[in-house]
Amino acid sequence: MSVNYNDFTLQELMTVAAAREIKDNERVIIGTGLPLLAAFLAQKTHAPNLVAIYEAGSLDCKPIVTPFSVADDVLVPGAAMQGGLLEGLGMVHNGDLDVGFLGGAQIDKYGNLNAHVIGDYYNPTVRFAGSGGSNDIGAGCKRTIIMMIHQKKRFAEKVDFITTPGYFNGGNERELMGFPGGGPSVVVSTMGVFRFCKDTKEMYLESYHPGVTVEQIIANTGWDLRLADQVRETESPSSELIRILREELDPSRVFLNKT
Amino acid sequence: MLKIGQWLQEDGFMKVSKVMSAQEAVSKFINDGMTVSIGSFFHTIAYDITHEIIRQGKKHLTICAPSFNEHADQLIGAGCVDRVVSSYVWMEVFGPLYCFRRAVEKGIPHKIEIEDYSNFTMTLRFLAGALGIPYVPVHSLKGSDMMNYSSWMGENKVKLMKDPFGSGIEHTLVPALTADVGYIHAQRADEEGNFQMWGLMGDAPWSMWACKQVIVSVEEIVSRDSIGRDPNRTAIPNYKVAAVIEAPFASHPKHCQGYYGVDREFIFKYIHESRTEDGWKEFMDQWVYGVADREEYLKKYIDTFGMKKFLSLKARDMSSGCVNYGF
Repeated sequence: MSVNYNDFTLQELMTVAAAREIKDNERVIIGTGLPLLAAFLAQKTHAPNLVAIYEAGSLDCKPIVTPFSVADDVLVPGAAMQGGLLEGLGMVHNGDLDVGFLGGAQIDKYGNLNAHVIGDYYNPTVRFAGSGGSNDIGAGCKRTIIMMIHQKKRFAEKVDFITTPGYFNGGNERELMGFPGGGPSVVVSTMGVFRFCKDTKEMYLESYHPGVTVEQIIANTGWDLRLADQVRETESPSSELIRILREELDPSRVFLNKT
Repeated sequence: MLKIGQWLQEDGFMKVSKVMSAQEAVSKFINDGMTVSIGSFFHTIAYDITHEIIRQGKKHLTICAPSFNEHADQLIGAGCVDRVVSSYVWMEVFGPLYCFRRAVEKGIPHKIEIEDYSNFTMTLRFLAGALGIPYVPVHSLKGSDMMNYSSWMGENKVKLMKDPFGSGIEHTLVPALTADVGYIHAQRADEEGNFQMWGLMGDAPWSMWACKQVIVSVEEIVSRDSIGRDPNRTAIPNYKVAAVIEAPFASHPKHCQGYYGVDREFIFKYIHESRTEDGWKEFMDQWVYGVADREEYLKKYIDTFGMKKFLSLKARDMSSGCVNYGF
């Protein structure tokens, strides 16, 4: 029986959409989960000269199996360099890296991210992991790709805590801070793909995923969402990309079967 | 009194063995109320020492690391910790750490205080502490709420300063971090405490250099001569090290490059069982309180999961080539 790769899951669509954001020859700092798969997919397809960096200080790795973690021991043998956090995040902080991946529990319309708390900081309803390297990646990388679960409580008018600044209140506010990095360039959510207006830095909908309507996205966004002049459907991944994802990158479905 | 000639006739070095058990090291060098740097990033975490701290019921510790995993969760759940200085307390894609969340959200077993930084600023705080630099200017944290909220450190958590060199930019300043004691796992050490690490260095060696003294547990104790054959690999020299513990498998369920890999099933097991307080207590009774030391833990692991599973964690042989240190 031949295997059919024409169907795809939401996670696979998001991974492919994120992979498209990476250009060849770019230096990319990789986080766990879908970002890791997205970077590997880019490297296997249109960006063979991508240089992958992990915050644990691994650079240009040649892992024989897909790593499970950003501090996976499979990254070490074959790497061009293995340092520590100081090297891994130092390369971020000095502005050498093109792309970083970010995520969080909440995002606002200027791409400010919360990965700390829901509710009051000192007495939170929910406490999350904290920044990890996110704040550093947001400050240092030339641009960031944000991946988010799309729910109204997560796409909030105002985040409960700014872990990683995006464009603050928009306009040139970020520019005035003098970060080495330029800020978020795209948000790939479970419902669509979003970009930021050049002048106001406000997030707008560029494309909705197959099976999702613009109305649904608006209803699940906590502010009056702006739309691109011509909102389109997110491009579906080719069966070849799905095959690579399933068969070569995540054969044991460590990342792709999680909801 | 020995003369220099006599020393050289021996083997050239004065030997002071610091090898002892985890019980002895923890009881001697870790006291209630201390600030403790717990070294490494996901890799080479000293679970043997962590579990011994829990068994000895140490209290009111301030624990510091750029990123924390289940070891911090277990210390928090056991009530050993009052304060956490870190950027991350979670278990990556494995999931959340429930003792940490219960402590912060519900005050179980008691409320803990946190000073939140980023991974890089935590590492820089250790670097500054290690080098005797009072503070470090950095781009990270700027504009985030980590600048606006602090716990016991108050205004001394982080500051903003206009660049005195005239760039016109404001920089974040993070203060040096030093600890009373640090502990870490490493691949090998000699009896005097010179220890060597390779693979994912994480926050090492800076998180350990920033301590008054260091406890190290190792996979193997080797001769001083072995250390001297590859001195570039030494993370921390003997004068900083107070105790050396020989404890194979002490990073389990995490990895130790060249020795064993991550035990994913065991991490998922911990996270699953620690969802409830009772489940967590049962896990701890089995794997921490119910064993005397790492040797018993290892024996229990093999008895429970079988030799085949244990051997499946063993690292492949991917030994590096040797370099010539000749002169």
